[in-house]
Amino acid sequence: MEPEILACLDQKRYQEAFDRLLPEFQNKVFRLAYAMLGDAALAEDMAQEVFIRIWKALPGFRGQSALSTWIYAIARNTCLTALKKGAGKRERSLEEPTVARAPEEAGVPPARHAEIDVLRFLDQLPERHRQVLRLYYMEERSYEEVARLLEWPMGTVKTYLHRARKELAEAVARSKMEKGTA
Amino acid sequence: MACAEFEEQLLEYAELANGERARVDAHAAHCSNCREFLEALRAVDSQLTAQLAGLELTPAFAPAVRRRVRLEGSAPRPTAVPELLDFVGWGAIVALLGLLAWWLVPLAHISNTKPDISFNASYAAAGVFFLAALWIGIRSFADLKH
Repeated sequence: MEPEILACLDQKRYQEAFDRLLPEFQNKVFRLAYAMLGDAALAEDMAQEVFIRIWKALPGFRGQSALSTWIYAIARNTCLTALKKGAGKRERSLEEPTVARAPEEAGVPPARHAEIDVLRFLDQLPERHRQVLRLYYMEERSYEEVARLLEWPMGTVKTYLHRARKELAEAVARSKMEKGTA
Repeated sequence: MACAEFEEQLLEYAELANGERARVDAHAAHCSNCREFLEALRAVDSQLTAQLAGLELTPAFAPAVRRRVRLEGSAPRPTAVPELLDFVGWGAIVALLGLLAWWLVPLAHISNTKPDISFNASYAAAGVFFLAALWIGIRSFADLKH
């Protein structure tokens, strides 16, 4: 799809390029925004803002980087600006009316330790650990995709993920033990 | 807390080769700390996968964005500013290199006396440096804007 979008841009057919890139990148941009902000409704607003910025900046795209890299950079910058303004402080439920579950995920079996709310522990982690964890699970546990979206080195992604999963697992184990002794 | 020796393998359990996994399983079978850690890790993975994997926007998102784009007006016009800035910047770099070459190789084959850099050349060099710095600054600003 990306070569077709680039061909449209070469021929200055910006509307067509935008119409093609929107469905191609909207969910990736939304997940990146959700990973950074931790709020589904805010992430959707931010994704809208990102695409408006992309629309305005399309004529300036010179192909110095891959189109996806350029789009994710705009998404990250937009979210960082929102974070600086204090967005994303409030964590919301994932069951937002604006957010749909992917059809293939509808049949996911319930967690074995359903009595322990892992998301509660997630909120207690440092911000970067939370971001990388959310993206890791949203992107089907692909280190490469997380590194690409956040534009972090692979080693950094792995280090953060290991620390974050370790902290979460230890918190869950402690909680389980406390429940067992209570 | 898991044993330090096995912690890394437990965190990478899903990606372990069969032999390595058997070694970890054998250890976890008689180490309650590692067993609990592995179980907790599986709970984390399964809960967060169930809650986060494949999170998508509704079909209403794209029409909403298109409406906003329509409100923003017609397709934006292309701008030649980056090309102009490139031209100015490369021009400044070429001028700087030319000036340096002229200063370092000052027609030695014509005259035996090594000429000092002239007063005017100092101004020219300063101007070129200023232009180069200006170009870099403006390009950075343009990149940020994009």
